Amino acid sequence: MGLVKGPPPAAEAVPLAARDIDALLIDLVAPDSGVRRHAARDLGAHPDAAMALCDRLQAETSSSVRAVLLTSLIRRQSPAVAARLTTFLRSDDTPLRNAAIEALQEMPDAVAPYLQALLVDPDSDIRIFAVNIVATLRHRRAPEWLTVVIRSDAHVNVCAAAVDGLSEVGGPDALADLHALRHRFADNDFMEFAIDTAIRRIGQD
Amino acid sequence: MLQFDRSSETLPIMTDDEYAKFCAFFYRQTGIEYHDNKKYYVERRIVDRIAKTNSESFRDYFTMIRFQASGVEMQALVNLMTVNETYFFREDYQFDALVTGILPALVKGKRRGDPIRIWSIPCSSGEEPYSIAINILERWEQADSWDIEIHASDIDSRILAEARAGRFSARSVGRVSSALLSKYFTRKIADEYQICDALRGSIDFSLVNVIDPVQTRPFRNFDIIFCRNLLIYFDDVARRETVEMFYDCLAPAGYICLGHSESMSRMSSIFRPRKFKDVVVYQKPGPGEPLP
Amino acid sequence: MSRVEPFARNPNDGSKRVLVVDDGTTMRLFYRSVLEAAGFVVEEAANGVEGYEKALAQPFDLMIIDINMPKMDGYSMLRAIRADAAVRATPAVTISTEAGDKDVIKAFEAGANFYMVKPVATRELTEIACLITGARPQ
Repeated sequence: MGLVKGPPPAAEAVPLAARDIDALLIDLVAPDSGVRRHAARDLGAHPDAAMALCDRLQAETSSSVRAVLLTSLIRRQSPAVAARLTTFLRSDDTPLRNAAIEALQEMPDAVAPYLQALLVDPDSDIRIFAVNIVATLRHRRAPEWLTVVIRSDAHVNVCAAAVDGLSEVGGPDALADLHALRHRFADNDFMEFAIDTAIRRIGQD
Repeated sequence: MLQFDRSSETLPIMTDDEYAKFCAFFYRQTGIEYHDNKKYYVERRIVDRIAKTNSESFRDYFTMIRFQASGVEMQALVNLMTVNETYFFREDYQFDALVTGILPALVKGKRRGDPIRIWSIPCSSGEEPYSIAINILERWEQADSWDIEIHASDIDSRILAEARAGRFSARSVGRVSSALLSKYFTRKIADEYQICDALRGSIDFSLVNVIDPVQTRPFRNFDIIFCRNLLIYFDDVARRETVEMFYDCLAPAGYICLGHSESMSRMSSIFRPRKFKDVVVYQKPGPGEPLP
Repeated sequence: MSRVEPFARNPNDGSKRVLVVDDGTTMRLFYRSVLEAAGFVVEEAANGVEGYEKALAQPFDLMIIDINMPKMDGYSMLRAIRADAAVRATPAVTISTEAGDKDVIKAFEAGANFYMVKPVATRELTEIACLITGARPQ
């Protein structure tokens, strides 16, 4: 009893079968969540499996499997993956929606082609999600897209989300639009606060 | 082109609003919060990176860390902000929580005869696994009633050889009391302490690259994983993959202990935070338990 | 953050403590400025996981929780907290941009004590915080 030296974890004990994509796709829908997790992880190495991972993400209820699916999808990012993930923004499943936003934020080049359409979606919730994606995206045009939002969007929460993004990434080019926005949403405490904060943080040149 | 040393330029290089903007961004990315009283500390390090990257100004540098696709400069800055060194009983409040909270909670779910398995990764030159061993032997009254395995891994074979050899400098053992020094170490020469053979022989050291799934796959059924001050140096995806791998390395209801500047909230939501004493650690759900 | 830090601003004068959980930097700053002006002590968290960590680390008199957040959304955070004996009693207000009936029902089912729709006015926020915590309006 007390400290004992355990046997070194031996690779032979758990053989790593070189499984092909078909076997992994069967495992991806196995009843055991551990099996699904392993399949989701290993399928991250197969470019052809991306859509199957998206399908599984939509149906998956175990959050540990969902986490692995997302990580594999971020690894396998492509415009096709991004397009599929944007459809989840309309889901009623809150964790799925937020997982999609988080993954899209990690794939700037893949998601960029779809952002223009999302930013003018008729549903204001979708526009807010799109702004949230843009606001943390490592994409050079993010400040410009956010500026267009505050210039043209009629919804207070969409604009508020864009102002929040601009307070981090905005440059002096955004200042005129920020000042103009103040008049569009007068008497709104938060908007006034957000605009003041953004203008201060952008600073003067 | 004219080069000059910007690190000697006088502070401030950033306005209070720029500092606030930087802190908000750094917090979102890392979970590390800096308040106004840390401005000098933060600014010194940013000045250093501005000089090393030949950036024109804070604004220029902030744009680089904010938009650089590779994230390399952000990592360099994080490294500088969170310089780490290893020594015995480092972040000892975690060992406190281990012996007064985590282990007692853990054994409630165990049967007599089950081993308790602990994994220290990265173990560096061995200070952490030996500190864990000494804390358990000295401070957990049930230590003699259980078989406790400590496994320790690192990616660096040279540092692993040092860990196995178990020779430490006076600085490294600076926080070890003289009573424990004489109990577990022998002094070889003026500035060298040799850890006793009993401890050396009781820890299993192994060479493991944490991001290689083939290498980590044999590591299963651990009750507690110490992974301190490693993930902060990984990019987002590597960090996600590593904690998801740990999930499979843990037994149900097993725990992960991260370093002081690392927040699971920036990596994953698949573990449940648990508070023991002054420490928040992360637990894999037990059998039949819903996830958070 | 594995070590429990003391409150960054802790007057220890009986002020009520509010945890604001929102991924929007400006939103958190707004809550902080409004609530501090009303005499509350405010801590921030940027997603549901961090909110849960901070709720465990220190006692709060009120949590203000956004719904759509990365890593862990507001409903999931609330459900986790309501299932955790260590913290389950802390009152919570959820604040969301979504104003439909089913959003409100989901919030109450997850364990919210009150539901507000963004954008929230300064006065409304202060009044609700005072009402729930029993703090005296300042």
